[in-house]
Amino acid sequence: MSPQLSPEQLEVLAHPATHKVIATLDEDGSPHAIPSPFLHARPDGLLVHFELLETSATNRNLLRGLWFGHKLAVTVVGALGQTFVVKAVSVKAEISGPAFGRAFETVRAVLGDADLAAVWLLRPHAIVDETYATRKRDEEARYPFSIHLDRLLVPRDQATSDRTQP
Amino acid sequence: MSQSSTSLASRQPATLAEVAAAHPDVPRLIILKTDVQRRGVFYTDRALSVLDPKIHSVTGTHIFGTRDGKIAPRPESLLLRDGTSIIITPTALEEDPYVVDLVDGQPFLFDGGQPLEAVDYWPAPAFYGKVSRSGVLMKNIVSARPQRLVVNPSRTCTFWNNGKGCGFCDIVPQTKKGTKELNIPVTLDPVEVAEVVAEALREPARFSALFLTAGSNVNGAAPFDDEVETYVRVLREIGKLFRTKKFPSQLMATAFTEAQLRRIWDETGVMSYTADIEVLDEALFSHHCPGKAEWVGYHEWKRRLVSAVDIFGPGRVNTGIVAGIELAPPYGFATEDEALSRIVDEAEDLARQGVSTVYIVWSPRPGSVLGKQRNPASLDYLIRLAKGLHGLRVEYRLPIMFDDYRHCGNHPDTDLSRLLNFD
Repeated sequence: MSPQLSPEQLEVLAHPATHKVIATLDEDGSPHAIPSPFLHARPDGLLVHFELLETSATNRNLLRGLWFGHKLAVTVVGALGQTFVVKAVSVKAEISGPAFGRAFETVRAVLGDADLAAVWLLRPHAIVDETYATRKRDEEARYPFSIHLDRLLVPRDQATSDRTQP
Repeated sequence: MSQSSTSLASRQPATLAEVAAAHPDVPRLIILKTDVQRRGVFYTDRALSVLDPKIHSVTGTHIFGTRDGKIAPRPESLLLRDGTSIIITPTALEEDPYVVDLVDGQPFLFDGGQPLEAVDYWPAPAFYGKVSRSGVLMKNIVSARPQRLVVNPSRTCTFWNNGKGCGFCDIVPQTKKGTKELNIPVTLDPVEVAEVVAEALREPARFSALFLTAGSNVNGAAPFDDEVETYVRVLREIGKLFRTKKFPSQLMATAFTEAQLRRIWDETGVMSYTADIEVLDEALFSHHCPGKAEWVGYHEWKRRLVSAVDIFGPGRVNTGIVAGIELAPPYGFATEDEALSRIVDEAEDLARQGVSTVYIVWSPRPGSVLGKQRNPASLDYLIRLAKGLHGLRVEYRLPIMFDDYRHCGNHPDTDLSRLLNFD
C-alpha cells in the first residue's frame, strides 16, 4: 500500500500558487530538478507529471527509472511555506488515449501552442513533511543537542539579579 | 551456410528470466516485448470480453496477415506501461504463445499460467467509427497506431506477378482476404485519403506521425515510377492539410533511384525514408527476396539507401530487416553468432554512411512461402541483435525518432534508443 497524501497536502498540491519540482537522476547519478507546474494527484494516490518534451532529461530519466528502478522526488511548496517531499518511482508513461488527449488540452489551455510527450504516473513510497515550522518543532523536541545555546538564553530584559547559578 | 537440424536441436532456449539476467543493461519490458513478438499471443475469451471497438483498436486493417491465419475482432496490439507497443499477431495455442487474460478486469500477459505484466489494448481513435464519402469505413482507408496514422495506398506487390515476392510476405493472400471480408479498397483515392486524415487529426494529440507504405510496383517509364507516382499523389493531397511544407512522416517503399527520391523530396512533405532490405546478406537476400534481387539487387539496394541520406539527411533514412529469416533452414546461417556478426557488420557499413538498421521479429504467416516454418531465433539472439543495432546508432550518432516507439513501435532496437542523448 502506497502512502497517501493527507487532505491538507492534497489541498496545497491543488492550489494554483503552489510550486512543484520534480527531481530525477541522470545516467551518471547527478540529480536533475525542474518545475512540474501541472503535477497533481489522482484519486488512487498516484501523482501525475505532464512531460512536455520528448528528449528532455526528465523524460529520459523517468523512463530510465521505470526500466531500471531508479527513484525520484517531488517537492511541493505552498504559498504559506507548507512543504513536503514525495519520494516516488515512475510506473507508467501514457502516450495515447483519452487521458493523454485531455492532458494535451490542459497544457495548451495554459501555455498556448505547446506539445505533450507523455503523461507520467508516479507511485509514492514515502512522504516527508518538510514544512519548516513543523520540522523545527520536531527537531528541537527530538534532538535538543542541536540547539545553539544562545537561543536558550533568558532575554536580557527578563534577566533578574536574584537568579542563582548551579 | 546450410543449417543442420542438429544445430537447431542442440540450442538450449533461454527463458525470459535467464535472458533478463544475462542482459541487465536491457530493460526487462523490452525483453518481454521481444519474446511476445517471437512467440505470439493468444487471447482468452475473458480477455476478448473486455475488448470494446468504441474504446479499443480492433484488428482487421493489417496489410499483412496473422500467424493463426484468421481475420477476427481482436485487439490490434498492446501497450506496455513504458509506452512501448507490442505489435503482435494472434497465434494458435499449440504454438506456445504468451496468453492474454484478465487480472481484476485488467488485461495481463501470462506465461505458464503466471501473470507477468499489465497491458493495455491500443486505444481506438475517434475517426474509426466513421464512414468515408465512398461509403467505406474510415479505418479501412487509414489505420492507426497509438501515435501514428498508417496509409497503404496500394495493397498489391508486382514482385508476385512472376512469383518472386519475398518469402516471408503474405501481402497478396491478405489483400484478397481483406478485400473480400472487410471491403478494404486495394488502391486508395488520394483525395479521400486526405479527407480521412483530416478527420483523424481533429482528435487532439492523437497522432504525431503519418506513415505510408505499399507493395512494390515495378511498372512505369523507369522501374518503380508508378509506385513513386502513387506516393506523390497521396502525399501531395495530405500535404494540403498542413501549414508547413514538411510534416512528421515516413515513407516505407522500394529502394528508389536518386531521381525518384529527389522527386519525392521536392514534391511532397515527407520527412523520412525507409527501404527494407529485409536481410543483410547478399545470398540470403537473393533467396528470400528474389523480386528485390531481380529488379534492384543487394548492393544497389544498399547504395540507394546511402544516396537517400544526401536527400533526406542523416538520421532520416533507415532499412528494416526481418530478424530470424537469416537463420531459417535450409539457407540460413549455421549459428546465431555467425548471423549476428554478419548482420551487425553489414549494418555498420550502412551506419557509418548515415543509414540506420532496425529489425522486426519474423512472425511466419501461413499465407507466405516460409509460413510453415517457425522463427528459429532465440530470445537471447534477438536481444543481442537489438543491442548491436542500437550500439551502432550510439557510435555513429544516428537519431531514430522517425521510427521509434511513438512513430512505429515495432522495433525492439529502437526502443533501446529512447535513451539516446546527443546533447
